[in-house]
Amino acid sequence: MLKSTIKRVAATAVAAGFAVTASLGAAQAEYPEKPITMVIPLGAGGSHDLNARVITSIIPTYLNQAMIVRLTPGSGGQKGTQEVANSAADGYTLLFTHNYIDMLQQHVENLPYDPMEDFIPIARVNYAPAGIVVRADSPYQTFDDLVAAAQANPDSIRMSHSGNWGAFFVPAAQIMKARDFSLNLVPYKGGGPALQALLAGDSDVTMGFPSTLGSLLDAGTIRVLATAGSERMFDDVPTLAEVGVEGDIGFMHRVVLAPKGTPDDVVATLTDAFGKLVEDKTFTRMMGRLNETIDLLDGAEYQAMRQEQDAAYADLVKVLTSQ
Amino acid sequence: MLDQFLEGFAMAMRVDTFVLMGAGLFGGMLVGALPGFTTLMAMAILLPISFFLDPIVGIPFLLGVYKGGIFGGSIPAILVSMPGTGAAVATSRDGYALTKQGKSRKALDMALFSSVFGDTASDIFTIFMIFPIAFLVMQFGPPELFAVLLLSLVIIAATSGSSTVKSLIMMAVGLWLSFIGTDPLGGVERFTFGLFDLKSGIPLLPMLIGVFAIPEIAGVVIRNEKVKQLASLMGERLTFREFRGTLKTICRSTVIGTGIGIIPGLGQVVAAMMGYAAAKNASDHPETFGQGDLEGVAAAEAANNAVNGPTMVPLLTLGIPGDNVTAILLGAFVAQGLRPGPQLFEEQGATVFAILIAMVFANLMFLVIGYLSIPFFSRLVRIKTSVLIPVVIMFAFAGAYVFRSDTFDLLMLVGFGIFGLIAKAGKFDVMPMVMGFILGPPMEYAFGQTIAMGNGSTLAFLFDERIAALMILVATPMIGLLLWRRMKTVPSD
Repeated sequence: MLKSTIKRVAATAVAAGFAVTASLGAAQAEYPEKPITMVIPLGAGGSHDLNARVITSIIPTYLNQAMIVRLTPGSGGQKGTQEVANSAADGYTLLFTHNYIDMLQQHVENLPYDPMEDFIPIARVNYAPAGIVVRADSPYQTFDDLVAAAQANPDSIRMSHSGNWGAFFVPAAQIMKARDFSLNLVPYKGGGPALQALLAGDSDVTMGFPSTLGSLLDAGTIRVLATAGSERMFDDVPTLAEVGVEGDIGFMHRVVLAPKGTPDDVVATLTDAFGKLVEDKTFTRMMGRLNETIDLLDGAEYQAMRQEQDAAYADLVKVLTSQ
Repeated sequence: MLDQFLEGFAMAMRVDTFVLMGAGLFGGMLVGALPGFTTLMAMAILLPISFFLDPIVGIPFLLGVYKGGIFGGSIPAILVSMPGTGAAVATSRDGYALTKQGKSRKALDMALFSSVFGDTASDIFTIFMIFPIAFLVMQFGPPELFAVLLLSLVIIAATSGSSTVKSLIMMAVGLWLSFIGTDPLGGVERFTFGLFDLKSGIPLLPMLIGVFAIPEIAGVVIRNEKVKQLASLMGERLTFREFRGTLKTICRSTVIGTGIGIIPGLGQVVAAMMGYAAAKNASDHPETFGQGDLEGVAAAEAANNAVNGPTMVPLLTLGIPGDNVTAILLGAFVAQGLRPGPQLFEEQGATVFAILIAMVFANLMFLVIGYLSIPFFSRLVRIKTSVLIPVVIMFAFAGAYVFRSDTFDLLMLVGFGIFGLIAKAGKFDVMPMVMGFILGPPMEYAFGQTIAMGNGSTLAFLFDERIAALMILVATPMIGLLLWRRMKTVPSD
């Protein structure tokens, strides 16, 4: 047992250190000839960090170069984003971010960069669909119960979420706008504390990603009223589309961006590497173990979604801030 | 339950578990000792390795990194007055004073023993009381958190080194500094003067190194302060008598730390400060605190490590990570096919107990690893001053920089260094400022949450739903006032 464990550890160490050896190997004239930095504009230990650790430990196999994670948290993601916007468009500095930092913030604040003008998407690695959750003893049996109660007594129902303009605040606002009701939104520092507030009875409803809900669902502690997307995640739980909320609402897309002006052959190399990455067995197994999906979109496909998000978020912010 | 426990005990007794846990402890200690590198980063980087290990090997490995890292953070705090995290601030006070007296080895030993004691006791308490703790955790929401934080600030101001008025002034400065940047709730910019660098607020690490380490470095350089070489080359080890003398303090701090660990959102910084304040308050020689009292080191270290046990409870019983460290552990659990949550104990009870038991053994193992490595660390300060000072300066700047890789942080470091020198000259204690700065944002957040929960009628909300919180809110300033008056009668340095 000990021997096999050591073997496996050694294998991982080799995989992680592959890049170093590769960079010492045959000098290649073409991109990438040195390690690539992937900036995450968020803190350590979050879902982006964990996803990135898996990506960067496998992708060197296909790029023949190391990919190094650099965490640059601050200003709700703006610090790291600005850093990449200001760096050379040579493919050696990439940004691993999500749609709310990418497309929403420009409508809320003055940013020192323009996301549409300064970035191009390389790949969307995966996305996480949010579910609307109540305690099992909640009086709201269905999504419509919740809407009806909120319409009868606006702002009387508390919803805990993971932070203003964050991954649950925005879909909540979009859903409230679509169905014309209002909840009292109370911010918490992250999805975990928001869920804990629900269980403690401090809030009446919250949202969560299925990867974090599984165990509480099985135990019958919580009930899901609706999930994002047009396909059902649970057989007996309607999708947002079924309850009258259409569109790209409630998804957190994890995306890799590059500064605009990155040469086409570099983009092609990266696109190719991500394409091979998602086929990699170790990669799929590790992501599966983190309860993460893999759903690759290439740059062009995701650019179309970005443009839709841009317009939708502009509308949403206008409505929210004019109140 | 008992047979699960015994089965878990048997599962934990594996050679590879201990080998990797030891590697994790040692590696974590080294990383934690480097200013600017956090335990969290080390854990995130090592997480993928744990995927390929057996759960009873991989998770103790990560726990080892975590525990080693916390102690590692105390090493530069004691040796060169360079606390890398808020949790090590209280330790650096007496720890560095001891180093200046040539007793760095005693201080490190004291830190190690009290850490291990606090951690072990809180882990064992957690194993036996996991379900009552899980219930207690649920009783603390934002209003209660606000009240506890307010009380902590009052206690810190009342018990710090300089006069209470000076302490309150410094705390106000710290609170104000914490307001700079984007407001945590509404996203409005405050006091940034349009500077993008200030938008994310003032970074903690340059402040810590600036106000604590720079004035000490300057002291050695300008005034030619000698780090005393009275003791033999390596310094003396802690004696059993000295340890026994602090046992009461260690036990008190362990209880305080465990209690604070139960309240979600407080953490090690508050625990260390409260443990320190309580020890000073109970002592019959409070004037020696801050001047190099072993009890000061013991009080802070036992308390901040005693937080560890209870913080695991929401993760294990609900599957909810309370902070980034437990978020990484959640990743490790899930990757192993263990899903923390209400059913974890039913489905995987033995495995969970094995992990918890391994956690206790990690502490005991660390006692040995730490004890053997302390001589090497304490030897560091014996290097010639002309070599040591440049190296320390290099680490100060490197540490401030690597955290965010931002040159702006270097300016901050220099600015806070100058501020620290001025404060020292004026006999203002910088500790209340740092604590105001660290605890201000969570307190403001909890306040904002309370207002949001009340939805425009905060008092009605507190009266209808939160009688307990209301009582705490009223009682906190009163207890504070009493403490303040009592502190005034105690001679302070």
